[in-house]
Amino acid sequence: MHPAAWLVWAVAAGGIAMLTTNPFYLLPLASMAAFVHAACRVPGPGARSFRIFALFGVFALITRTALVAVTPYAIGFDSVVLAAAEGLRLAVLLIVFGTFNSVSDPFKLLKLAPRRWHEPALVVALALSIAPRTIDAVEKVRGAQKMRGIEVLRWRSLPALAVPVLSTGMENALTLAASMDARGHGSGPRTRYRPDVWDRKSIAATLVCVVAVALFTAALVRGEAGLLVSIPAEWPPVDPLLLLACVALALPGLLSPTRT
Amino acid sequence: MSATRAINGRSTLRLAALSGANLLGAIAFTWPFVLPSLVDRGDAHRADAPWIALLLAGLLGTVLFVQIERGGMGPKAIALLGTLAAAMVALRLPGFVGGFSAMFIVVLLAGNSFGPAFGFSLGALGTAASAFFVGGLGPWVPFQMVAIGWVGLGAGLMPRGTSWRARIAALSVYGVLSGFMFGALMNLWFWPFSAGSSGVGWAPELGFAENASRYGSFYLLRSFGWDALRAAGNAILVIALGRAVLPALDRAASRLTVKVEKVEPPAALAAGGPVGGNL
Amino acid sequence: MTDAIVFSEVSFAYGPDAPEVLRRTSLSIPEGAFVLVTGATGAGKSTFLRCINGLVPHFSGGVWSGEVAVAGSSTIEHAPRGLAAQVAYVSQDPDASFVLDRVEDELAYAMENLAVPPHAMRRRVEETLDLLALAPLRDRSVRSLSGGERQRVAIASALTAGARILVLDEPTSQLDPQGAEDVLAALKRLVDDLAFTVIVAEHRLERVTAFADLAVGAFSSGRFEIGDVAGIVEQLGGGPPVTRLGRRLGWTPLPLTVREARARVGRVNGVTGSREVEIARHFGSPVVAMTGVSARYARDEVLHDVTLTIDERVTALIGRNGAGKTTLLRCLAGLHDPASGRIAMASSGASPRTGTDVAFSPQDPGDILYAETVAAEVAATLDARGASTEELDKWLDAAGLESKRDIHPRDLSAGERSLLAIVAIAATAARILALDEPTRGLDPESKDRLCELLDTMAREGHAIVVATHDVELVAEMADHVVMLAAGEVVAQGPPRAILSGSPVFSPQMARISDGRWLTLDEATTALGSS
Repeated sequence: MHPAAWLVWAVAAGGIAMLTTNPFYLLPLASMAAFVHAACRVPGPGARSFRIFALFGVFALITRTALVAVTPYAIGFDSVVLAAAEGLRLAVLLIVFGTFNSVSDPFKLLKLAPRRWHEPALVVALALSIAPRTIDAVEKVRGAQKMRGIEVLRWRSLPALAVPVLSTGMENALTLAASMDARGHGSGPRTRYRPDVWDRKSIAATLVCVVAVALFTAALVRGEAGLLVSIPAEWPPVDPLLLLACVALALPGLLSPTRT
Repeated sequence: MSATRAINGRSTLRLAALSGANLLGAIAFTWPFVLPSLVDRGDAHRADAPWIALLLAGLLGTVLFVQIERGGMGPKAIALLGTLAAAMVALRLPGFVGGFSAMFIVVLLAGNSFGPAFGFSLGALGTAASAFFVGGLGPWVPFQMVAIGWVGLGAGLMPRGTSWRARIAALSVYGVLSGFMFGALMNLWFWPFSAGSSGVGWAPELGFAENASRYGSFYLLRSFGWDALRAAGNAILVIALGRAVLPALDRAASRLTVKVEKVEPPAALAAGGPVGGNL
Repeated sequence: MTDAIVFSEVSFAYGPDAPEVLRRTSLSIPEGAFVLVTGATGAGKSTFLRCINGLVPHFSGGVWSGEVAVAGSSTIEHAPRGLAAQVAYVSQDPDASFVLDRVEDELAYAMENLAVPPHAMRRRVEETLDLLALAPLRDRSVRSLSGGERQRVAIASALTAGARILVLDEPTSQLDPQGAEDVLAALKRLVDDLAFTVIVAEHRLERVTAFADLAVGAFSSGRFEIGDVAGIVEQLGGGPPVTRLGRRLGWTPLPLTVREARARVGRVNGVTGSREVEIARHFGSPVVAMTGVSARYARDEVLHDVTLTIDERVTALIGRNGAGKTTLLRCLAGLHDPASGRIAMASSGASPRTGTDVAFSPQDPGDILYAETVAAEVAATLDARGASTEELDKWLDAAGLESKRDIHPRDLSAGERSLLAIVAIAATAARILALDEPTRGLDPESKDRLCELLDTMAREGHAIVVATHDVELVAEMADHVVMLAAGEVVAQGPPRAILSGSPVFSPQMARISDGRWLTLDEATTALGSS
């Protein structure tokens, strides 16, 4: 698929997740994202980091819920449910982001940015690509420190993880920026080697994404019930059309799975 | 030196945008006190919030864009900004303990190391980026961007001291102060609107002294507990990580400054000092 | 010949308080020359190279004076991006320099930025793929390639830009001897046939001296000089093994290449008449045994049915890029789970425990260094195993770092940093010590120090396993050599048996003596006493 079509997919899936905390929309959305990851992933650090994003999402869901549960300001069961719903939304956002990382290369997107936007696009591309690289770095550093008998997840040896990961991360970002500059990035108008084409699959996927977001936006504007989990806590209603919109986001996984 | 290490003196546009955003941020937080007749009680900024937030977001966006795009920052600062903003996002994910989030440690340490302008940009950018994941997007995001930007700006203004002990001591004290200040500032975005009817609310007719004391009571009642957690968390993390992490950041920060000296003809080597400028 | 690059009165330091790396350097590099940049570890070779396209000072920060002109343009006025059409640069660390994922896209990246017309791009990509034998990898993800393949991709993606000045920082550090030879020969061809200017920094002088026309010497205290290779190597000391042999025996002129040294050896006593000398290698009892070990990455089998016993001595793993050396070490260290087979300690029969029975030193020292000082870095390891800090001095001494104990690890040179990382791992006192390419960036002096350290440890009963492409190191240090090919052990035995017969893996001393000697000491003994 065209890299911009992936961007549209990610924005659509992320946007929908931001509009709702209803688990009946969020859970299908997460499953569809996981399916797309499984079908379309490109081997590399991005694909490897998907699992970590998903785990991080679950971790964030649990800590956020637990934190509310133990805070003295919490007002009983309802606020715990609300926190859990918010946490679930966060987890879904992370899974969508993990999928985006695993199926698309942020630097391909960077090449699509108009010339004046090169540098801001560079920040975004770097920031997007840093997460998987950092996750790789954490694994590497952890393994290396284990060799020395240093268990980095202990509080006292936190610097043994934080410092190499941060220094290496900054160092790598600088090396990458230097490498791009030395190869003429942003020096003037550019040409394209094998331009990405908007094929029918990309167009179809993009249209579906736009329609799905439009349905959710319309529901929001109408003030439809069930988008957000509300107090007092009870199972929110489900609109079949919106549910369908969530499921439709699996389309890229069906249309253009990675050739093996 | 620290004040100019990340700033490029050449870009007046950048300076203008930076000051503009700070000024508007200050106005956004304080206008209800200056123009009390316009305050619409009952709901936080219900009428003005979208407009102020939009304006503020636009200006902040311009600041960041200009900082980045006009070559003012250059690709190396951009690379570091991206890395550190991503670190903020990651540390914000696990959530807040009271008002504390590990995200603040990045702003404090990096702001201190890279200087106020970078600190402000990092605070604003990292907050915006993390809002996509956790805070949800709403009119409060630009206010947060400014407030956390100021935390970074202030960290950059802290004296670097002559010894590590002094620098970390100063920064941890600042961590405590900024922990409370951040809370106090963020309250202002809703206090004039929401707590009006109670004894701790804002009443324009009562004058500054009475209002200050009312705000004090409001703060102790509603905000102090949260902010104390933030202040303590900031200080603990600065003390635990500062000595190890600051050198790594300083090392990266030193790469942002290039000083070009004029070559003296060999005969006149002793005469004349450096003719400097940042690239 | 006109000058491609002119340094005038260049001084540079990384910070206001940092020492000057270049001090009032003035020199010119002529167009169409193959230039070797050489000098001790930490003398500023990389800094010098990075001046040529303006990465220093634009990306390094620091205090700069003077001017570097490249094809007439000043590097201060033109940022690296403005010089991209004139100078192509390949960094020491290819992994962090890749921008795009697919090999072909990576090759085209610089051309896209420089607005090369599409049809020209296609042609240049094809030519470069052929030049560096990358055509079979064109659709692969760069991150799925082996270290050596990545290095070739990095070189290729610099080549495509069309710049006529190529600057390469240790371009063969991760390549096997044959791969290195191919890359250097390709560069030489660009110089000879197309009048490119090629500037290469390289520690393994034995690989490049035969190719270079000129050398830039990086002397301590910031002095850089250009001259003919023999002159610079003579002034600097060190040099490839043949040169060091010549220096020991007082030969003039000093030989730089195997060919020159062979001629000289023939003159001394006739190659046919020279005697065989062999210095004893260690034997030790077995420490760990691998039985039928196979390992996979994704779907590819990287190790196939490896059965190997590792003893209390220095074992070297050699083989082509991608032969499975690193994977074997990682399996041994418990960092990678074998798909089948077992790894068992000879003493207990249990698999080796990571960190106590076996320790692994990664290629990149940045993965482990975090402390504020050199001493604290080693102390952290000692502390973690509860050892007394009295050992600290012993380890620092072994690495030659006792005078730098209070320095920040990132202020060390690349070579010193890898020594520190190795010592920080070795201080675990694990029975098995696995080292991955430990001599990257080490000058001969640091290399000697490393050999001494490993030798001592082997004698104290440690099993040392070193994966390396450095055949000179293997010849000097190894007691036992294991050769891997396509994930299988194809040969093992004493260094002489494995190395001296091989056209690719034989060290210089074996080449000048038809395999009668392997190390510098052996050659010195043989020639000195005749």
